[in-house]
Amino acid sequence: MDNELGALTTIFTEFYYWMTVVLMFLIHVGFCMYEVGASRYKHHQHTLMKNTLLIPLVTITWFFFGWWIYWAFPTGPGIAPSIMTESTGLVLGGGFGANELANPTNALMAVNLGDHIMGVFWAAFLLFSWTAASIVSGAVIERITTFAFGILAIAIGSVFWSIDASWGWHFDGWMLKMLGYHDAYASGVIHAICGGFALGVLAVLGPRIGKFSSSGEPRNIGPRNPWLVCIGLFLIYTGFWGFYAACNIPIFDLGPEYGMEGVTYFTATNIYVTPTTLSGITMNFLLSLAGGLLAGYWISKGDPFWTYSGGLAGIIAASAGNDLYHPMQSLIIAGVGTAIAYKLHYWVERTFKIDDAVGAVAVHGYAGVVGLVICGFVLWGYPSSGYGVGSMWVGTDYAPINPLGMIIGAIIMFGVLGFLPGWILAKILHGMGKLRIPRDVELAGLDYNIMEQARKDERAVASSNR
Amino acid sequence: MATVTNWIDHLSASEVAGQVYPMVGSEMWWVLAGIIYWLAWTVSTANGEAEEQEKLARKKHGPNDYKSNIAEW
Repeated sequence: MDNELGALTTIFTEFYYWMTVVLMFLIHVGFCMYEVGASRYKHHQHTLMKNTLLIPLVTITWFFFGWWIYWAFPTGPGIAPSIMTESTGLVLGGGFGANELANPTNALMAVNLGDHIMGVFWAAFLLFSWTAASIVSGAVIERITTFAFGILAIAIGSVFWSIDASWGWHFDGWMLKMLGYHDAYASGVIHAICGGFALGVLAVLGPRIGKFSSSGEPRNIGPRNPWLVCIGLFLIYTGFWGFYAACNIPIFDLGPEYGMEGVTYFTATNIYVTPTTLSGITMNFLLSLAGGLLAGYWISKGDPFWTYSGGLAGIIAASAGNDLYHPMQSLIIAGVGTAIAYKLHYWVERTFKIDDAVGAVAVHGYAGVVGLVICGFVLWGYPSSGYGVGSMWVGTDYAPINPLGMIIGAIIMFGVLGFLPGWILAKILHGMGKLRIPRDVELAGLDYNIMEQARKDERAVASSNR
Repeated sequence: MATVTNWIDHLSASEVAGQVYPMVGSEMWWVLAGIIYWLAWTVSTANGEAEEQEKLARKKHGPNDYKSNIAEW
């Protein structure tokens, strides 16, 4: 950095992403509180530990290979050519966009005086990865082993979401070029995939003991600490401000970037490097939160759990197009997404005997899918990239946003990269006898031994006089 | 060991070297050490968890037994 303007832009961008990481940390705090509040007393500590441990597990694997996957697979490989290298495969040995960039032994993956962005950008994506794993965590509480959850957390947090981000959340991604996929704030690339993944795991894991009567009727196992759940969800909302900000590039000159001779146009952009404003998405974020809260309250007849979850589902449903929607469009889309997610949750629970303890599949999965499909219609005809406009299926240019491409995108996110890997991995872990805790442990409570020891200590302390 | 021994010399070089962490060039070994740490943790804690749960399962506690363990404050 040898001039003031360049230095200011770089340091501003560095600080901007750093702030998003701090804000997004609150998502994880919120998820921890939410899960503990939703779990029963005898499982509290293990529930908390399970969710906490995904932090180190996803972090180190994101360093080892998760970040590398993101940069290595935009072309598929083998599906559409890269606009940077014109190759359709991995580009080994260097060059921007190639897998060399995020290799854990690369010079940029450390303190480097020549680079101020890699670390904070890596960290912002890592916080998305934690969110991905945490979404799955809530659905499986009180009966999964910590070992199995660790494996699944790494799979969704450092492998499958990274692949989908590479395909559909990267300016060079093949899904933009061939399908016209658009998902600015991750309705699909985070939420739909994680909902699908959780559903795949739940289908193998089975319900908690007592969730269904002998005739198959579902019973409600409500949150044990609604206040903790409430604060947890408020913290998740707060963290989502950071999530939205982190999905943007704060300052970018699109003139030279798009090859427009003599044009200078500084703006914030989304992850696809198409223009938007932090100001506009702030309105859309709030209106989609409002739309979800109203719909959640309305459809659940005032149930607090679903009202709060509705706020989240609303944001998620509108997120795919919140870089371009009008605030009232965000409001309505959020309401529709929340209502469909709520109805689908109970239909799937009754029909397939799926016990999703916190409604994660509905709030993230169904709302995410609905958001993608609606986005395909509302943003029909918009360019999916600023680098060029082409036709569907060709791949050498960028297809415009369209309903069919978004529906296929939703299937890829929820089904191909979400449900299927979750189901297969859970089957493997089940086959090894490592997926579910023993029945007697589930009945006694995961924390039984800890509580028993605490009682002994307490009694000894209480009867002590010296 | 030290990659930088004088900041003035380092920053006034015609080409400033970006990598300033100790032992530049040994990154691969550090990454391998990290992977071993992760794998060792996974194996060890997985075994520990299985043992603990087997022990607890053998005691056959009922679903409400935990209530007698709630500490008085």
